[in-house]
Amino acid sequence: MSDRAVTEKIIQALADYLRRNPESIDPKHHLRDDLGLDSMAVIELLYKIEEAFDIQIPDEDLVRLSTVGAVCQYVEHRLAPAKRPAARSRAAKSRKKN
Amino acid sequence: MPGQVVVTGLGIVSPIGIGVSEFWKAALAGHSGISTITSFEPFSMDGYRSKVAGQVRGFSPERYLDSVQAERVDRYAQFALVAAKEALADSGLQMAREDPRRVGVIVGAGMGGMVMGEREITQLYQHQRPHRVHPNFIPVITLNSASGIVAMAHGAKGPNYTVSTACSSSAHALGQAMQCIREGRADVVITVGADASITPLVFAGFCSLRALSTKYNDQPERASRPFDRLRDGFVMGEGAGALVLESSVHAKKRRARIYAEVAGYAATSEAYHMVIPREDGEEIATTMRLAMADAGLTPANIDYINAHATSTTIGDAVETKALRQVFRTRADKLAINATKSLVGHTLGAAGAIGGIATVLAIHTGQIHPTANYEEPDPACALRGLSSSVQERKVKAALLNAFGFGSNNAAVVIKRYAA
Repeated sequence: MSDRAVTEKIIQALADYLRRNPESIDPKHHLRDDLGLDSMAVIELLYKIEEAFDIQIPDEDLVRLSTVGAVCQYVEHRLAPAKRPAARSRAAKSRKKN
Repeated sequence: MPGQVVVTGLGIVSPIGIGVSEFWKAALAGHSGISTITSFEPFSMDGYRSKVAGQVRGFSPERYLDSVQAERVDRYAQFALVAAKEALADSGLQMAREDPRRVGVIVGAGMGGMVMGEREITQLYQHQRPHRVHPNFIPVITLNSASGIVAMAHGAKGPNYTVSTACSSSAHALGQAMQCIREGRADVVITVGADASITPLVFAGFCSLRALSTKYNDQPERASRPFDRLRDGFVMGEGAGALVLESSVHAKKRRARIYAEVAGYAATSEAYHMVIPREDGEEIATTMRLAMADAGLTPANIDYINAHATSTTIGDAVETKALRQVFRTRADKLAINATKSLVGHTLGAAGAIGGIATVLAIHTGQIHPTANYEEPDPACALRGLSSSVQERKVKAALLNAFGFGSNNAAVVIKRYAA
């Protein structure tokens, strides 16, 4: 899946969740301050994203996921090792550290 | 006239000990009852983000209960029965000499009979044999099964009900029991908090809520660390606490030993969010103020706080804010501890277990340590927190408990003076 497709899918998921037009959602938007998601809503959103991309997001990564763009980048990074072998060892190392 | 409401008996089943003497010895030593969950038979813990809990080890119901009674109820109600039996024996109350209609039972339980509940649901969906659903399924999962069985075990025919307000259930049970006696509806109320739901589904649910500690899976005894800078979520616990509450007139008539007085109670709703507390702490502050007013006390009278303190980042900081609002500079003069640092968060049992720790602090003059309180967090800076035992003559204490569904409870427990 291309990075752009990941972003589109996440923005669509957010739009569905917030019942608003995907075009009104910008990667710069802060999940809480701009989109009004409270911490529980963020957890619900990530739950949907985990399912959509077949990944598991550890609790300690949540703190980084404050904007739409950060969520997209995070998911892109998590999906990357499968298609970019060079990234795999880095990801494995960071997983171990966690 | 019922007079004051006093505590005359205690009983406990906890991850750091079954029985009050074992519990209190471990509590004063600051022992952690948190350990690794090895597996949820038949599957492993691999898929769980958190892998630690405060489980009651070595509990064989047959040791304490006759087999039919033990078999017919779920684990949380077995805990309730054992704790209530100890509390009644401790109180010296002889049911044969009492008017049974003047003895009530009020239980706080958040989850109830989930062990059997999960098992039966799984089997039904797996095998699709409705006729094989256990005949005891309904009585067991009905949330008042513990209050029912405790009354049956002792022939208590007075007011009998269950309070279910998630994590504050048994703090409300204590408050309700106090009111029941104050209003003259009972002389004695066997007050219990119980929960035992460290089960595959409930545990997974709390993992999905991202409410549990996940950083200390390799060091379980360090996982529950209320107010500490490195806390990262609560640790599930299980257990039961029982307190015999009684009118002082009744207690004195039978020359009972009085541990302490339950002097005030407040119940409020934040009407805000199912699982998130209001960040300014105002609602919690109001709850504490109302409980003190109910007891006829002011912040200047309080020496000790048994905090709700579950070890979540937000929750502990909000409770600290609330304590600062109410006690201002006195907040640093209060002794404060978190019983959940020892036993984890026992959900519906937490108020009763914290209540026992509070009563014992008043009775013995010892405040148990807050385990793992190593690095103060600027957001929770309170001088009265300690990882060691504090010797303190406690005249009056506040017990805090807050629950999902936006509800708060505070109970004032104080030294008894005739």
